[in-house]
Amino acid sequence: MQFGVATSILQQPPLFYAFEWPRWALCIVLRTMKNDGKERMPYDHPGASFCALSTPPGESAIGVIRANGPLAEALAVSLAKVPYPTPRHAYFCDYVAVDGKVLDVIILTYFEAGKSYTGDALVELACHGNPLILQKVLEDLFKRGFRLAEPGEFTRTAFLNGKMDLCQAEAVAELIHARSEKALHIAERQLKGGISAHYHSILDALMAAIAHLEAYIDFPEEDLPSEDAQGPLRDIAFCLSKVKKMLATRHYSALLHEGVKTVIFGAPNAGKSSLLNAFLGEDRALVSPEPGTTRDFLAERILVGPHALRIIDTAGLHTPTSKIERCGIEKTFLKIDEADLCLFVVDATRPYPAFDAALWAALAHKHVLLVLNKTDLMPPPYPTAAPWNALPCLPISAKTGDGIDALKRAILDAVEAEDLSEDEDLIICIRHARALEQAETALADAFAKLKDGAPVELAVCDLRFALDCIGGILGKVDNEVILGLIFSKFCIGK
Amino acid sequence: MNSNDPRSTQNGSIARPEERGRQEPTDVGDLARTTRTPLEAILSRSSYDVIVCGAGHAGCEAALAAARMGARTLLLTGNLDTIAQMSCNPAIGGQAKGHIVREVDALGGEMAVNTDFTAIQFRLLNRSKGLAVQAPRAQCDKKAYQFRMKQTLEMQPNLHVFQAEVTGLILRDGAVAGVETNLGCAFKGKTVILTTGTFLKGIMFVGDATVEGGRMGDFAAKRLSKSLLDSGIQLERLKTGTPARILGRSIDFSVCEEQKSDSEPTLFAFYDTREEMFHVEQLGENRVGWGPNTRSTSCWMTYTNDQTEAVIQANLRRSAMYGGKIEGVGPRYCPSIEDKIVRFSDKERHRLFLEPEGIHTDEWYINGLSTSMPMEVQEAIIRTIPGLEQAIITRPAYAVEYDYAPPTQLQPSLESKSIGGLFCAGQINGTSGYEEAACQGLVAGVNAAAKCLGLSELVIGREEAYTGVLIDDLVTKGTQEPYRMFTSRAEYRLLLNHNSAELRLIDKAAQYNLLPEARVTAIRQKKAAIEHWVSRFEGTGLDARGTLADALRRNLQVELPYAFQALSGAIREEVLYRVLYRGYLEKDFAHIAKMKAIDAVRIPSDFNYETLKGLRNESLQKLKKIRPQTLGQASRISGINPADVSVLLVYLRK
Repeated sequence: MQFGVATSILQQPPLFYAFEWPRWALCIVLRTMKNDGKERMPYDHPGASFCALSTPPGESAIGVIRANGPLAEALAVSLAKVPYPTPRHAYFCDYVAVDGKVLDVIILTYFEAGKSYTGDALVELACHGNPLILQKVLEDLFKRGFRLAEPGEFTRTAFLNGKMDLCQAEAVAELIHARSEKALHIAERQLKGGISAHYHSILDALMAAIAHLEAYIDFPEEDLPSEDAQGPLRDIAFCLSKVKKMLATRHYSALLHEGVKTVIFGAPNAGKSSLLNAFLGEDRALVSPEPGTTRDFLAERILVGPHALRIIDTAGLHTPTSKIERCGIEKTFLKIDEADLCLFVVDATRPYPAFDAALWAALAHKHVLLVLNKTDLMPPPYPTAAPWNALPCLPISAKTGDGIDALKRAILDAVEAEDLSEDEDLIICIRHARALEQAETALADAFAKLKDGAPVELAVCDLRFALDCIGGILGKVDNEVILGLIFSKFCIGK
Repeated sequence: MNSNDPRSTQNGSIARPEERGRQEPTDVGDLARTTRTPLEAILSRSSYDVIVCGAGHAGCEAALAAARMGARTLLLTGNLDTIAQMSCNPAIGGQAKGHIVREVDALGGEMAVNTDFTAIQFRLLNRSKGLAVQAPRAQCDKKAYQFRMKQTLEMQPNLHVFQAEVTGLILRDGAVAGVETNLGCAFKGKTVILTTGTFLKGIMFVGDATVEGGRMGDFAAKRLSKSLLDSGIQLERLKTGTPARILGRSIDFSVCEEQKSDSEPTLFAFYDTREEMFHVEQLGENRVGWGPNTRSTSCWMTYTNDQTEAVIQANLRRSAMYGGKIEGVGPRYCPSIEDKIVRFSDKERHRLFLEPEGIHTDEWYINGLSTSMPMEVQEAIIRTIPGLEQAIITRPAYAVEYDYAPPTQLQPSLESKSIGGLFCAGQINGTSGYEEAACQGLVAGVNAAAKCLGLSELVIGREEAYTGVLIDDLVTKGTQEPYRMFTSRAEYRLLLNHNSAELRLIDKAAQYNLLPEARVTAIRQKKAAIEHWVSRFEGTGLDARGTLADALRRNLQVELPYAFQALSGAIREEVLYRVLYRGYLEKDFAHIAKMKAIDAVRIPSDFNYETLKGLRNESLQKLKKIRPQTLGQASRISGINPADVSVLLVYLRK
């Protein structure tokens, strides 16, 4: 089936004049497409506007995202907060996402149609070069109706709009070819290993569901087993859960960008801030022998092996004496709750602190490492495990740096023991996430329809769309394959 | 429609055999020793616009369409008594096929009317499902169907029907100039439509016995096959089969389940836009056939059992197909009974339909029991089946293998890419089914006539009709097995509901003058009424519940306007369909609009793909072979990816 696969090829406005379909449909589509040049288009036909990161991926000072197409002007209006953005004028503004959150402070430049690189209306967003911010901005653009550009699409659009010299045609063709090869190569690399098996298992279940339903649509005369939606429902439910699981790895990919959230906590003056400084090798956190120096949270990113850690230093846990301290301690509890990993710092020279039950409850399902600090003040032997449970105990000296490497290894082990590491092959890229999101909606629609006994051909319509989405990742699925499935599964024929 | 007296234009146009001329070896069945006329002598005579070779379901529609458009048309058939013969089961329509028959009617074809007036059982399939996938099906009286079609051809102005076997093409300057026949006379024509069915080098198999012929009792077109090869047309082999026929009086119906006709027939032709029940040009004649649904019969169901399986298993090696005699590829959706038993061994029983061949005969067709076993095994198989223990077999089941010309050699107009003026339709293009043949014949007939009359070619889009899907699939992807239409082959299935065939194709029908003017007007009015009511439903507010259309979509109880309820069922059904499915239809329209953009980009027929840089070699080879006419067609070739299409686009814009 070829729904939507080869269709995003041209970004020209649809040729409604040549449209030979009933006028009622035309009216409906035109109503949503109305554009007198000034009025903003509330909705464009899907796929006409596209966006992409134009600077190389990875950490950099600035990341430029270009958004092209009929929706670009509305985007400039919304972000720059001006009714008519001046073309080729830089606006310094907040990037406010559709959900109202400010994602970044950006410099926006609007190019009107006919005078941009591509010839279409175009907006350039210069963001900060943080991959996470850029990803969030792209995701927000998707919500606004943009789609991810195909390889070489900006250049191709420019060429088609007559913005490039004709003699560059060959160069453009080669560029498209090279880019698509590269995209293919990247996709292949990504599809190597476990992830492609996940996609294939979705695809197989999806095709089985479609083949089953199609058999009952196309062969009502055949002696098929009595029609039963249970099998397809199971298949669709399987696809849904699998798609959801894969989409959930978007969180992991954020984790990778943002770092594993690691919270340092412990009694006052146990040396938590010193430990952070030891990690960082600089006096980032304010350290003093006075208990309760850290009232706010300090967050820093360090690299442990291949993993980024976002380390959050917290106020010491003790029976609070002031209101501010109580507030700080409550926040510490919250941070522990959100943490992927906890480092419990204990002063080796003092008795183990006696915390109340709330703390142990908060730690119950957490990955906690017990760090025995200030070994420079106390000779070995050190305990290997905490007395109150079997937490691994790591003796260090934040002051001299002894044991920090061992601690980092332990952290590495802990991080890799997390789901994150096991499912690393699941981590999906933004293009795949986009396809999976669309597939998820379509699958959910189909599931609901089948369950409610709605016309089965409508459910198949949704499933076919989902198939195209997954097919967009793995390659076009020919309808012959589905027919083959039907004929191998059911005995059909006069 | 041209209403000239047919007889006035047709006499005297048969080329007579010349005395001089080479002697040709004669085939059995030739009427006289073949003599061949020198080419120049033939071409100096008056000629036909369109010559149709074969009078099956494709040939009949091709000849009628061409003649109705005003082209001087000749229909040649090896046997006038087998016109429009249903070589396999006595039924027209069914899922996707029924849709096609209605499209044939929308384009002025004959199959729908002919079915309605000779049918003995009507059923609407998929009644429990949505409108888009419901399809009409009818059992027909085979002989009545043939007689009525024959009479229609005979009465058609501009059409000359003649009995002769075509033995070769006459070519001139790479284009077709006429055909040779076994009668020693040749006919010259500006265009030729080949609708050879299974006759090209047809061989039939009944176990070890092989018989040459395209159908039991008929000849095989061996010389034409050779002529096509000599003309540079590539031929390959396909296989199909048909079950045995038995006498009704020998069937014990008491142990079979009855399958009755619907009480209300779903007819194939559109009568709400017709002034008369018949085509205008056929008025006043003493027509064969009867009023739709006036003769009703039932079909019956029975099942195979363990014994049947045992007999088949014991004799498997004697099957022509399992014995390795047949090289042609058979259809996956139409397996022989031995194939079903082997491939679905876990299935306890296989259902069989007993279908009457007509009311003028006591022969019955055993649907589901096609086989290529030897006669005695066939008999043993049939005797194991409840109700058929005493069956008297009148005709054996057989498999037939035949030549087809892979359809990727054709343009979307069904004209050959290599030989100008040569069109192919039906099984020669690798399809299967009467309906598939008919719609191709119609399109080929229109295009052959259009070529002679200087009109542009008729190409039906995938979004317009199953006919469009069928032809696009054939010329773009080709086929490895006999191609049958399924609704799942159409990406815009929801737009192609059978009720809307007339509305979808009205502009094309009007453009080629395929319908009487009064009917064109009636269809346009019907279309306008539907659009009016859809927009009225979408626009009428119902206070808090949104518009009337919203309420319908949410399945709320609403009072529909009286004026609406008073409309004809065809209009009401279509209005409700468009309202209820609006979301889906809109998605399709958006998709179609985008496809139109790339379909509008034409690729010159002499486009040199070799000069393209940046195209993968695999894609290059495919494009060179298929030579798509538009960028849209290129994008549908399997294995052509969007990047290839982009590269092509860049060069086309250069």
